[in-house]
Order: sequence, then structure tokens, then C-alpha cells
Amino acid sequence: MPGQSFESTRKIENESHKIGRRDFLGAAGLTLGFFFELVPRVAEASLPGIAGSPANTQVNTFLNISSTGVVTLTIGSSEMGQGSFSGLAQILAEDLMVDYNAIVTVQGVPATGAAAVGNSIGTFGSTVIRDNYWTFRTAGAAAREMLVSAAMNIMGDQTRANYTVSSGVITYTPTSTNISYGLVAAAAAKLPVPANPPLIPDNQFQWIGKTVNRVDIPSKVNGSATYGIDVRLSNMVYAVIQHCPTFGGYLSGAVPATPPGMIAVVPTQVVAGVGRGTETTGMVNAVAVVGPNTWDTWQAALGLSINWTIPASSSNLNDQTFINQANAALTSATPYVQSGPNAPPTLYTVEGNLTAANAAIAGAAKTNSATYTFPYVAHNALEPMNCTVNYIPGVSCDVYVPTQVASSVLSIANQLTGLPTSRINVHTTYLGGALGRKIEVDFVSQALQVAIAVNKPVMLLWPREQNFLRDQFRPMALVKASAGLGTNGNILGWSYTNVSASILAQRGAPLGPTGDSQGTEGSTALPYNLGALSTQYITHPSPIPVGFWRSVGMSINTFAVESMIDELAALAGQDPYAYRLGLLTDPRWIAVLEAAATLSNYTAGPAPGHGLGMAITTYANSIVAQVVDVSLVSGNGYDGQPIVFQVNNVWMALDCYLNVNPGQLQAQLVGGMVHGLNAALYGRQSFVKGAAQFPNFYQNRVIRLNQMPQVAVTLIPSPAQSNQSTPIGGAGEIGVPTLAPALANAYFKASGKRIRTLPFFPNALMYNSPGV
Amino acid sequence: MSTSFTLNVNGQNQNVTVNNPNMPLLWVLRDLLGLTGTKYGCGENLCRACTVLINSVPQSTCNYAVQSAVGKTIVTIEGLSPNSSHPAQLAWLQYQVPQCGYCQSGQLMDVAGQMLAGNHGANIAAQLYNVCICGTYSRILQAVETL
Repeated sequence: MPGQSFESTRKIENESHKIGRRDFLGAAGLTLGFFFELVPRVAEASLPGIAGSPANTQVNTFLNISSTGVVTLTIGSSEMGQGSFSGLAQILAEDLMVDYNAIVTVQGVPATGAAAVGNSIGTFGSTVIRDNYWTFRTAGAAAREMLVSAAMNIMGDQTRANYTVSSGVITYTPTSTNISYGLVAAAAAKLPVPANPPLIPDNQFQWIGKTVNRVDIPSKVNGSATYGIDVRLSNMVYAVIQHCPTFGGYLSGAVPATPPGMIAVVPTQVVAGVGRGTETTGMVNAVAVVGPNTWDTWQAALGLSINWTIPASSSNLNDQTFINQANAALTSATPYVQSGPNAPPTLYTVEGNLTAANAAIAGAAKTNSATYTFPYVAHNALEPMNCTVNYIPGVSCDVYVPTQVASSVLSIANQLTGLPTSRINVHTTYLGGALGRKIEVDFVSQALQVAIAVNKPVMLLWPREQNFLRDQFRPMALVKASAGLGTNGNILGWSYTNVSASILAQRGAPLGPTGDSQGTEGSTALPYNLGALSTQYITHPSPIPVGFWRSVGMSINTFAVESMIDELAALAGQDPYAYRLGLLTDPRWIAVLEAAATLSNYTAGPAPGHGLGMAITTYANSIVAQVVDVSLVSGNGYDGQPIVFQVNNVWMALDCYLNVNPGQLQAQLVGGMVHGLNAALYGRQSFVKGAAQFPNFYQNRVIRLNQMPQVAVTLIPSPAQSNQSTPIGGAGEIGVPTLAPALANAYFKASGKRIRTLPFFPNALMYNSPGV
Repeated sequence: MSTSFTLNVNGQNQNVTVNNPNMPLLWVLRDLLGLTGTKYGCGENLCRACTVLINSVPQSTCNYAVQSAVGKTIVTIEGLSPNSSHPAQLAWLQYQVPQCGYCQSGQLMDVAGQMLAGNHGANIAAQLYNVCICGTYSRILQAVETL
């Protein structure tokens, strides 16, 4: 049976750790290691698959074919529900010419040794399939040809045309002799890696393009899948974190005494590289109580009396202050200067020219100006942050963690324990959701500090409340957009300014003249004919920690851009679909928009009392369009809040160039859409004097089954024959950003009211019942 | 001041000793009995990732004191069926429901409880309000409609 299990992962890792990778490679069978993820495309193109010393090549993903014919694919990336294990195995199966269902997938470990290109195995940016597709295909083909070459040597006939391969069996056709991969695997390992192995033509695909079952799902219907929170080690103790409730606050006095029945209270400090905004290196911003089980320890943590020191500056960290600062920054921000300090608020010119845009707008027949505001939004992965560490001083450190960045975990463990990375084992577990929050290693650094202090295997848990209150939030933002139209509705001038806290600057990355790419994505290189355009970005001074939230800046800018386009359509007196088509020339955008319109039967118009709204955007080489159908309803919800509308249908069209697994693409798009819907309806965190206010799902509502709209997805077909020069699109995030604007545009059609501030329902609550 | 209880979990009697008889059953299952298939999501009976069957009725366990479970039968996801053969599990496999999968133990136990109460299809869906952040709801609906 295929499938990843934590036990098998650990066994393999221990084995490889014990005998060494070099010996492991020398074992009977064929092993090919290859670079994985974040490899510059130039380097990637030169890599068919690299056999040889892993110490030199930073191998962290590899294919092994044992002498019994078992195909094992060890994967560096993380499985957080997006199906990366399955997708990569599916791609490999094609050119290796084996049964996808027979491939054993195993979670890999981060590379050891000095950092080099290719050793990072971060899972983010919708990269797993799109960045590894050709690498995996070429590696599969290289391995196949090496196995066939070994078979040729056995048969004594070097005519390649006399051999066929099917499901891992090589057939010598003149004599109908079958040779299994396992039989020749060891001999193949001694052969050179072919430079340009032939790939299977697209019209002969057996696996790519088909919906196949995911390898991880069987373990997710019977409780056996091991997430980070499920790790259990002998003699393990439990730690529960308690942060200072106020951002910027810290422990300056005595550490609270260990409560009765507990093992220790460990102060944890912000370590270099993990602090954001208010959280500066060295400050003790949390304590961890260590005890015999989660519940007792949690109760002890809640009962602690801790004298936090709160700096005066924290009193300025309030919702309205942030909005006021953003508005002030629109007029007072200082332009970026090269090698200047560029302290926020700094104004960055991203695209175009403000003077020309303003002149065009001033001379236009009709103008529209709108301000869109966005709150801080917390991540809401259902598996809370946790990390288990087994540290043996001077000997070894094992870290078990649901992480998107195993290589960063390796680095922080090296930093805090002082052990060489060869003595640190990072075990990436399944992730019970991540959404970008598990890119951070703050919780890992805390678990390491606790393990070092207590000298026992320990799991550190953030209770739910700590996850919502101490997040690294999607940034609050204020976007001001203005445009002027010509007499036929064409856009003469477009001015767009996004004010938001910089995610990259909080990570110590100096911003260049065009600002923070994470903050401006979705507002640049727009394919609409916008006339004289200006796109600006202003850093917001708020030090509330911000981070990568599934689709990152796209979720902010796509709402503003696609709402504004809709407003301009209304100003021009045109249908928003026809209006968009009139502004577009890019054939891919037009095709995707038309596909969504066809799927939704858009031109037939909405049902009585309904409104249809649409939005389109691009990310990670993919283009998505969504059409949303809402109907107005009245009455009060379970929480006493008025119900204004219900979302009936969402239709989506996607062009990602190659549809590797259509069923999984559908799942990712729908899942992204729901993430966007949760945030559009309810997502916000609120701050009073530096303290986040909403600790649990009660105030961080998400939709339940009864609010799920009907969904339909259409995929633009893959080309008849793909080529390596066309980038493949990612699908992990693209479902998110168009939902909010499509919803707001649909609501405008239904009600005549324009929503420019998210979320729609900032006061909605969630109860322990079906609700409304 | 430890207290010992005997719990009937997945058909077996298990002795547990707790410091606080109000320790939620969730943590007894996870930390003391090693049954980690039941998940912690919110701790406030909002997300239902921690649903088990108690006397055949779905019950969230994050706020259900262990002492309340004494003398009752407890079924967790590990005990739902041998070999993932419960009809709900088979439907989940057929429709490829899970993404991250973290909520799915709770989803399945709630569905299983609804089935024990004699509900089918849309009647089950109407009672199902477990949170899924991945947004697998449409596939859950597809799967439930076959039950």
C-alpha cells in the first residue's frame, strides 16, 4: 500500500542517520538524489538527476528502487493537505513507468552541511508542483533509462528499440523476456546518469492529467495520520506556552515559581531571526509551564501570576490608531531614497508615474476614488502550533514538528543547541493546516529552549487562544485607488496606493525602490488597459507582527483592484464582465474570464433577488476567475447579528497550464475559496493597547457546512504537448484572493451597496450549534 | 489528590488516574491513553474536532469531564471500525474528502453518530456543523449524501 506514515519516516531517517547517507546510497538498489524546490530555473534545467555524494549535492529528495523492486520516493516538502506527496509521486510514475499506487512516499529530512542552493525545502508560494514538475519527470526518465541499460547488458543486446517498459517491468521483445526493475536496480546504480533521457509524450500519459487518489487520505479517515500534536515519545513531558498578552511586553522580574505538580516554569526569549515587529531579540515575551500532561499543565499556565512589563509605546497599538496612521501616511510618507533609513512610513514608486496619472485623471470626464480598508487577520490552522524536542546535550537533538520550513527548523536547532547539523534530526510531521503560519519558527525556538532547560523530551503546545492572540497576522492595510474614464468608459488614468506594514521589512530584508514584493503583489503588471498608471506602496509604521497568510498580498490587492474595476464599470454604465473584456487583450485572461462566465451562465443574468459578481487575478503563473451568486435575505442570525445575504454559488475557472491531478486542483481551488470566504465574511483581529482581543473561534468565526455555497470548477485544458519553456502554474493559493471582490461585486449588484471595508461582518460570532 | 476511573473505550476497560476529575475526556484519551486520533482544535466546543461517541451519541470531548464518562461506552475514531470499513469512512475515501485531515476524525464520528440515530443523507448534513478550515464541505456533502 502506498502512503506516508510517521513510523516509517522515523525508521528510514534513523537508519540513514545511523549508517550515513553515503552508505545508504551504496546499498543494493538504485538511488537517485535530486535537487528539490527553490532551485533557480537555470540550475534546474541542467539537472536531470544527480547521483553521487550527497554531502556535495545537498540531496534531500531522492528516489530509491530496491533490489526487490520497491520504489520509494523521499520528499522534502511538507504535506499540509495540498497533496504534494501524491502529486510528486504521480509525476514521477509517468516517466519512471511504474504504477503510481505502488510508489511508497516518505517524508524527507532537510539537507545537512553548509547551506547551498537547493537545500531549502520550504513549502510555500504554491511551488511544490510547478517548481518540481520537470525535475521529477526528468529524474524518472533518467532512472528508467539506467534500468533499461542494465537490462540491455544482461540480455547482450544494445538495441533500445527491442525493449519496452510497463509498470516497472522491462520486456525484451525479441524473446518476450521480462526483467523487473528490482532485478537490475543494483546494476543500474553503477551506470552513468543520462543527460537527456527521453520523456513520455503528453498524448501517451498514463498518470499525469488523471485524478488519482491521494496517498495520505487512508490515514486521515481512521485517526492514524500523525500530526505534530500526536507525537509521543518515551518519558515525554508537556509544555504549555503563556505569552505576555500585550505585544511589546516582556518579563523583567522574577520567573514565577513552579506550581504544585508541575516540573518547571521556563522563561522563553525571542531568539535572533524569529522576532517580528514589537518582538525584539532577547526579550522574554513568554513563559512555558512544563508538566505531566497537556491539561494540567495548561491549567497551571493559566493560573500563573506573571508581572509583565509593558512599554508605554504599546498603548498606541489600537485599531483606530492604525487607520489614522495609514491615512496620514498617504500624504506625509517620505519618498524612498537609496541607502537611506527609509523608516515607515516610506513611499515607494512601484510602477508608473503619479504626476502623469493624476493629470490624466484630472482631465477625465468621469472619475472615481475609493478607499478600501483591511483589518489584521489571524491564521486559523486547526492544528495549533506545537513542537516536540528530544535533546540530549552534546549528543543529539530530534525535533518533531508540523512545519513548512524544515530547513529553518534545522538552522534554529543548530543555533540554539550548538550541535552540528549532522547531529540534529528534523522530523516533519503531517500539518493540520498551515496557511503560512507554520513558515515561522518562533514556536520551534521556544520548544528548543524548554527542552534545553528541562533535559527531557518535551512537547510545547500553544493553546488555541495563543494561536489567535500571538499570531503573525495578515497585515492591516488601507488602499486608495482613483481613476478617470473617457467617454466610452475606457480608463485614462489609474492611481493606486497601498499602505500596509511590510512583512519582509519585519524580517530584516531591506526594501528596494519598489517596496515589499509581498505587499504589492496583485497590484502590479495588471493586464487591464489602465491608461496613465501609478502604483505606489507605503510602509505602515505599526509594529504588530505580520506574516505570510495564504495568498499574502494578493488577498489585499485583488480585493482593491477588482472592486475598483467593478466600480469603474458601474461608473461607465457597463456590465462588469463586458467591461473587463473591453480592458483586456491578454488571451489567457480573456479565456479564463470567458470560461467562468460560461460555467456560471453569467450572460443569462441573475435570478430575481440575486446578484452576480466576478473577479479575476493571477498568481504563481496561474490565472483564476470566480463568479459569485448572492441573494439578499433578512432576519437575524443565531448571534443576533443581521443576516444580509447568503452566498449560493461560486463558479471558478483556472488556467494553470498543466492539470496534473484535476481532482486535486478542484480541491485546492475550492479550499482556497473557502479560506477567502471566511476572511471576507468574518476575518479580523482587533487590538487595544497592544493586546489582541479575539482569542478563539467564538470571535474568529468561519463558515460551517450549512454556509457552504455550491461550487463548480472548470479547468482550462492542458496543451496537447507541453513544453518546458512555459511556466506551470501553482494552485495552492490562487483560490483565495478573488473571492472577496467577487462577493462584494455580487452584493453590490444585489443591493446597490458597495462594501469597501473588510470583513463584511466584523461583529459576527460563532456558537456551538449549526448557527446560521 | 489523584483519582482513578475505569473507562470503557473502544470495547475495552481502561484504568486512568487523573489529578483533576474534571480533566476533559479529550486529554485523557490523547495524553493518558495515547489515542491521538481525537483532535484538539479549540477547547471550547466550537470546532468539534474532538467528537467521539458516548453511549452512541456524538459528544465533543474538549469540555466533557472525564468523570462524566464513567460507566458509559466511549468510541473514538480508532474504534469506529476495523480497516476503515465503516460506511462513512468508505464514503470519505471514495470522495477523497480530507485535505489536511485534522478535522476529519471529528467529522466522521459526528456522521457515525447521526447514522446510529437513524439519520441518512441530507438529514445527517443538516446536523453536521464541524469546522473544516480547508473547506472540504462540498466533498463532505457528496460523501454524506450516499449514507
